[in-house]
Formats: sequence, C-alpha cells, structure tokens
Amino acid sequence: MPVITKALYPFYWRLLSRYLDKRQPAAPRVTLVQKLIFILPTRYGWWFLGLIVLLYLLGTNYQNNLILLLSYLLLSLFLLTIVLCYQNLSGLTLSCLTAAEGFAEDGLSEKGIDINLQLNAAAADNQRHLMLKLQFTGQQHQVVSQHCAPAVSLNISAGKRGKYPLPRVKVSSQYPFGLWQAFSYVALAQHYWVYPAPAQQSQAAGVMPEQDQASADKQVSDDTLSAYRQGDSIRHLVWKRLARDPATPIVRQQHTPPPQLQPDWVVVPAVSGDALERALRQACRDLLTLEQSGASYGLKLPAFTIAQAKGPAQLQRCLQALALC
Amino acid sequence: MLKQKRLMVVWLGLQLAFLLLLQEAFTLWVSLLFAALLLTRFTTLVYANTSLSLKAVNVIGACVAVVLLVNIKQAGVLNFMLQILLLAAVLRLLALRQLFEARQLVWVHYFLIGCCFILHQNMLVALVIMAALFANIYSHYLLFAPPGNNLKPANIGRATLIILPLWLAMFLLFPRLPPFWQIPTANVASTGLSDTLDPGSIEQLVQDDSLAFRVEFETRLPERQLLYWRARLYEDFDGRRWQENPQRSASDYRKVSQEATPAETTLNYRVIAEASQQRSLFALASPLQSSANVNIAPSGLVFATKPVSQRTSYQLSSELQPVAVLSEREQQLNLRIPPGNEQTLAFGRQLKAQHPRVSALVDAIAGHFRQQPYFYSLTPPALGANSVDQFLFDTRTGFCSHYASATALLLRAAGIPARVVGGYQGGDWHPEQGYLAVRQREAHAWVEYADQGRWQQFDPTAAVAPQRILSGLDDALSSEQRQLLSSPWQRNALFGTIQLQLMHLDYYWSVWVLGFNDDNQRDLWQQLRQNWQRFAYGLVFITGLALLVVALLWWQRREQPTQPQAYRLLTKALAGILPHKAAHQPLSEFLRVLAQQQQIEQRQLLLALITHYELALFNDDKAALSALKHQLKQHRNTLRRLHFSAQNT
Repeated sequence: MPVITKALYPFYWRLLSRYLDKRQPAAPRVTLVQKLIFILPTRYGWWFLGLIVLLYLLGTNYQNNLILLLSYLLLSLFLLTIVLCYQNLSGLTLSCLTAAEGFAEDGLSEKGIDINLQLNAAAADNQRHLMLKLQFTGQQHQVVSQHCAPAVSLNISAGKRGKYPLPRVKVSSQYPFGLWQAFSYVALAQHYWVYPAPAQQSQAAGVMPEQDQASADKQVSDDTLSAYRQGDSIRHLVWKRLARDPATPIVRQQHTPPPQLQPDWVVVPAVSGDALERALRQACRDLLTLEQSGASYGLKLPAFTIAQAKGPAQLQRCLQALALC
Repeated sequence: MLKQKRLMVVWLGLQLAFLLLLQEAFTLWVSLLFAALLLTRFTTLVYANTSLSLKAVNVIGACVAVVLLVNIKQAGVLNFMLQILLLAAVLRLLALRQLFEARQLVWVHYFLIGCCFILHQNMLVALVIMAALFANIYSHYLLFAPPGNNLKPANIGRATLIILPLWLAMFLLFPRLPPFWQIPTANVASTGLSDTLDPGSIEQLVQDDSLAFRVEFETRLPERQLLYWRARLYEDFDGRRWQENPQRSASDYRKVSQEATPAETTLNYRVIAEASQQRSLFALASPLQSSANVNIAPSGLVFATKPVSQRTSYQLSSELQPVAVLSEREQQLNLRIPPGNEQTLAFGRQLKAQHPRVSALVDAIAGHFRQQPYFYSLTPPALGANSVDQFLFDTRTGFCSHYASATALLLRAAGIPARVVGGYQGGDWHPEQGYLAVRQREAHAWVEYADQGRWQQFDPTAAVAPQRILSGLDDALSSEQRQLLSSPWQRNALFGTIQLQLMHLDYYWSVWVLGFNDDNQRDLWQQLRQNWQRFAYGLVFITGLALLVVALLWWQRREQPTQPQAYRLLTKALAGILPHKAAHQPLSEFLRVLAQQQQIEQRQLLLALITHYELALFNDDKAALSALKHQLKQHRNTLRRLHFSAQNT
C-alpha cells in the first residue's frame, strides 16, 4: 500500500498544483480567505468520529438516553470545531518581501537557504492564528508558530544554482482539539537565488595573477618599518630607534598592508558542462575574496560583462549573473 | 505540553472520579488495586514529575489483566470490560511520555465517561459525570493549544450558543433505533422484593426510603384503597417461608387482548421504574395492554424482557377487576398445605364449618383480626418453626407479611385456594407534578383467594391497621416505631423540602431526558408537521432578528474610510488602469503621464479631471468635488475606453 501511494503521489501532486495554480496564482501578499482554506479531518478526528459512533451504538443498545446525549454533544463539538479551525486560519496574511539568496550544495555543508516570511494577523487580539505550522511543499523543514509570530524563517534546501520561484508554503493548523486540519497552499510571488558553491581554495584560475606575484614578494617578512605618520598608534613606535634618533621616529607595521587596490577582473571562460561549473565555483570564490579585500572588481562572462565596482550590491549583481550563467 | 502539571492533575482527578463512579462494577480488592496505582502516579507526580518506565508498566498491566481475566466469571462481562478500560487508562497515565499517548488517554476517557452513564442515570450523578466530561474536554483542548493559553469566557459562551441548539436538535430529531444486539448488563445486587417472603423480610424493606417507581395516570388518580401494585406471587409455603413457584415461568406471556373493554373500568397509566436488577415490574389489578418493552404474564404480573438495570418507563392499561383463575391446576397448586402449624389448620377447618360461604369466611377472618387483640408492629417478636401458630395464638403482633401468611394458610386449611401477593400499596401523590411516587417503604403483602373464577383480593392488614391502607405507613405506626423509619436529618424540615424538590426535579429529568423515546420523537415530528407554518414563522422571525443584530454590529464596527472622497472616486472610476501605476507615483502624476499618451480629446478630459481632483483634495473645494463627480459620471465610457488604449501602449 505505501508503495502504491508513493508511486501515485507525484501524479496527485501534479493534479493538485494545476488546480491550485488556477485557484491561487502567485501574488506578493496573500490573505487566507475562504477560497484558499481547505479543511479535512485529521487522523485523530477520524478516531474521534469512531468514538462518537461507538457511543451511539452503546447508547442505542442500552437504550440509554444519557449516552446518546453524550454522543450528540461530542458530535456537535466535532462540527463546531470545523468553524473554529477555519476561523483560526482565516484572515492571516503572508508575504515574502525580499528575495533570499544562498549557495548551492557542494556535498560538504547542507545549510540550505533561510527564507523569511512575514505573517500579519487579521486582528491584534492575539487570540487567532494559534499553533500554525508552516512548511514549504517538498521540503523537510517546518516551523510551528504558537502565537502567530510576525515573521518566521523557513529553511529550503538549496539544489543546483539558479533563480527559482518560491514553492508553495503549506500553512496549516489543527488548533482547537486537533480534530480538523485547516490548511492552505500559498504561492508567493517571490524568487530565491542559488549561487554556485564557492570552490574550496583559491587556485587563481580566473583571476589575473599580476597582483598575486607582487604581494608574494612583500609577504616574506611580517613586520615592516616605515616612517611615523600622523595618526599612527604610538604603541607601534620602535622605541630603541627613537632613543638613538629622536628626529625621525619609526613605527613597525605589524600587519601586512592590504593588497594594492588595483582593479581586478574575474573571468569565466567560454566552456560548458562540468568545466563551466568548476569555473563558476572558482569565480564565485574569487568574487567573495575580492569583496572581502575591499577591492573594486568586475566580472567578464562569455556573454556579457559587469563593469567594475565594489560593495555588496556589486557582489550580488555578479553572483546573480553567475547563477544564471 | 505534557510537562504541564495542570494536565496531570486533571487526568488524575478524572480517573479517581471514574473509580468512584464505577464502584458498583468493582469488587473491593479491584478498587484497592486501582487506588494503589493512582496513588503511585500521584506520588511520582508530586515528588519527581516523571513517569514510570514503559517496561515496568507493561509488567504491572499484564499481571493485573491476568488477575482480572481469572475473575471474569464472578465479575461478569460488562464489569470486566469496565475494569479493563479503566486499567488501560490508569496504565497509560502511569507511563505517559508522548503526545500521541496523551491523545489516546483522552479518547479512552471519553469512552469511560459514556460507560459511567450505564451505571448511573440519577440526575445529580449525571451532573457529576457531565463535570467530568467538561474536565476531559478541557484537557483535550490543552493538548492542542499553545502552552499558557487560557480559554476566554467569551469564546466559551459563543461556542455554547452554537453547540446547544445543535445538540438539542440532534437529541430531539435524530432517529432512534432499537437495540442492535444483546448486551451484557452489570452484576449488581438487586433491590426490592425478593422471590422469597420470610416473616420479617418486608420489615427490612420498609426501612429503605428510596424510590421504587413513579406512576402517571392518564385520567385520574384512583382511590387509595385500589392502589395495590402487584409485583410477585408467593405460592409455595414450607411452614415458615413463602416462595415463588418455579413452574410459573415468566416465559409464557399472554397475548395482548384486543377486545374492547368499557372505558370506565380500565385505567391507563405510565410507570417509571427505578433500576432494580429484577425482571418483575408493577401493575394494578389485571393489566390488559402494555408498551412493547414489557410483557404481561397470565397471572397478571408484568415482566421486563431483561433485568431492569436502568430507569425504565412503560405504559399499561389495567382493568380494575381481580385477575382471572387460569386453570384447575393453578387452584390445586394453591391448596397445598405443608406439615406443621396444626393449630392454625384446625382453626381454619373450624371456620369453614361455621361459614360455608367463601365471602362469609373471609369476613370472619377479618373480624377475628379486628376483634381479638392483634397488633400491627414494625418490630414483631421472632418466630420459631411453626411460625403461623406462634403468631396467631401466641405473639399476636406482626407486620403485613405475618397477617398475609396466616390468612393464606387459614384459607387453604378451609379448602379455598389462596396465595400471598407481594408488592406495594399506596404512594405519595404530588398533584402539581402529577405523579405518584411509590417508595420501598410502601412494600406490602396481601392475600388473593380463588372465588367465582377470579383471584379475589383480601388484605388482612386493613382489618388490623386500616390507617396503613387509607393514609400510609406512618399513620399506622406508633411514634417510637416511626422514629425507626427516618434518620434524624430526614426529620429536618428544610432538608425534607430540599429533598422533595430534588425528587421532583429528578422526576422531570426521568420523564424528559431518560424517558424520551421514539414515541415522543414521533409525536414531536407530527407536531412539527402539523404546525409547520407556525414553526416556520417563528424560525423566520428568529433568523430575521439575528440578521438584524448582525447587521447592526457590522454597521457599528464598519471601518471608516481613511482616504479622501476625491481619491476614492477617481480610483474607483479608473480601477482598470491603476495597476499600471507604480506604488511611489502620486495619482495625479500618473494621470499626467497617461494624458501625454492620449488623443487630444481624452487628454483634455484627463487634465480637467486632474485639476478638479487636486482642487478637491488639497483645497477642500466642494464645487470641484461635485464637478469631478459629474465628469466621471458623464465620461464613464470614455474612461473605460481609455483603459484599453492605455493597456495597449
């Protein structure tokens, strides 16, 4: 039986998503209304229904009105729960304001991508939208928001690089009594970016090597001496030299000076298949190091070029170009 | 969620309540066993807030289950089922760790609550069980609610308002079915008259103040002297004890006679019998017709189809005539004389010689009791082997069973078939509520003798203590003996009133709740069908009223629009085109851009609209607002066409 259900599931899901796409196309903000909320009994709900039938049989066989009354009371409760369960979910507004980004899985770390969803309650009385369960369809990670948190972060496993539309979010709640589950598959008009996973070490495959050679020579000794300039810390003063020659104070620079700020280009050669992937991962790595070093850099792809600049916006622009390459 | 002590306390309390409520089904050692298990849980809760390991609980459970299974013969199937159910719940609580286990526990609790109603239908106990039900529903809610979330009274009130009509409608209108299959009943000690009658057994019964049954009469209350409720026939006498004849099995029932009987002599009434765990029920004189749940035996007794384990109501119509003699054999059966009691037999034969006519002989016996110094007493002296001799000629003090026993033997000695009848006599009439309450203290024994083809009724007690028949037992007894019947707190006037009111409430409870059956339901449906117009009007009225209230509330809570009117007018007229407007772009700016793309005519219209709009919005110009309104109305079609051209650009 599980084999059959497993085999039929993709088919079922395809049918369902076709229906859902017609019913609720992706939108930036989605408010859960009657049209979008589905309600079905949970497994415990079926058990509860069984209990009601059992009590009805017991009451009928003993011709005992009190047991019948009990069974009818539980039945009314069961029916009322449909409405309560619906009310608990209805009016909730979901939105995802920013496109999430992350790196593809490289087999070593499986961090996935965190996607922030904003939840807006219909009323501010804190009595609705209790025990919400949120989960992206087809994803493992789920979040239970007990008191309708204003924002939740849902993890999505990053597959291959690219730009993907958000999958539907399954919002569900069994809140009062757990007999019924109200749920909704919400499609939000938002994307997330999966960038190529950065390569492990910088092998200087795509970066122009001019700067590396120059800096390698300088990095032989860690400490360098230079003339004191205004603003240098006096802790770095070489006191012995100062005693000998007080006119020209010398400071010892303990850190290597940052690599020269000369403009750099990251180049992705025109290859395809695995070679392209490798080149992209390397390029990603280089972009990250360059951004860290504070340099201004550009990206040359076979198809187009991104002009040199620096800052997070530039990094994002370049990484997005890599993701789509 | 399971770490909440509140939940554990609720469940422990519930299980303790089940243990007490199901006490009847448990023997002492079983109860003690369960109490010990609950105490274990309580101590672990108080001192450690942990649960036992599953392994230990399984071992305990297996042992107890085996012991209970061994005991099944004694306990009976129903009691065994109840014990196993409670055992399952208690063990589950002992080893509770997971959420799904807690859900199972709540489920079993619901079922146990249902089972409590098998044993208890009393109104007050039913209230207690209802309280248990609400506690269980509360624990069910806590399982699925976020921790620290409390129910709001307003929400509970709203839920009650919805549930209540639904619930009552289901109870009143949902079809009722006959029992599907035979089900076991509880092994509980029976109450009321037993199948033997010792001198002294009725005295014990009379000290019980509990209710035996209640009767509603269709027309009028018959006179008190006629209220002899026959329950049992004692036909075998061994010199001391009367017994029911085993050959008179309750299985051969009389066919319900369909012949019309004159209405004056028949009496229609409904009896609501308390649970007695016996099959014998109560009827006046010769019953002719009954409702389907009881049977009429040829001897005029009424039997339930199975022991009465819960309050049962049945309809009877009786002819106010003595029961007919069935056969010669029945007469022979009631002429047998056991050895002993020689003096009595001699006295009987002597009476027969003096009074050859049967009725004269019976009068003579009554006269004997009346004229000689015989006493009516609740505490007669103990009697030996020849009990009747001793009573008639020696102690001369006795209760109704003594007189009945002696009279029946005298009649048999005189050659007249006679037997002792056990039942109840009289009852308390409650005119306001319209029912007769018959208690165990109204238990009585009298004599029937065969004459003119019928079993004539004769009550020797009436000769000794006529007050017993005319007004009740209390008046027939001396004040010291009356004290025996009532405990001190029963004599308190206030308490007595409360008790009486409770009994009346209990009566309505049993009529409207416990006694509600498919007949009532059919009546209700018929009523609905006949008066549907009136009901429909009522329903329409109520719905209309509710709608009105809802509309009023909505009107009050309706949100006042925050945007100015000019803005709203314009956005409404241009709804089709506005999605093209960027969020940061002001409306008039967007329209200006739009105007650039249009033909001259539309451009001028748009520019005019913008001017009016800005004047109305920023200058609060009423004239501009009305001009805007007018223009929007006039050029509705132009504006609509505008949408298309704009979307095409």
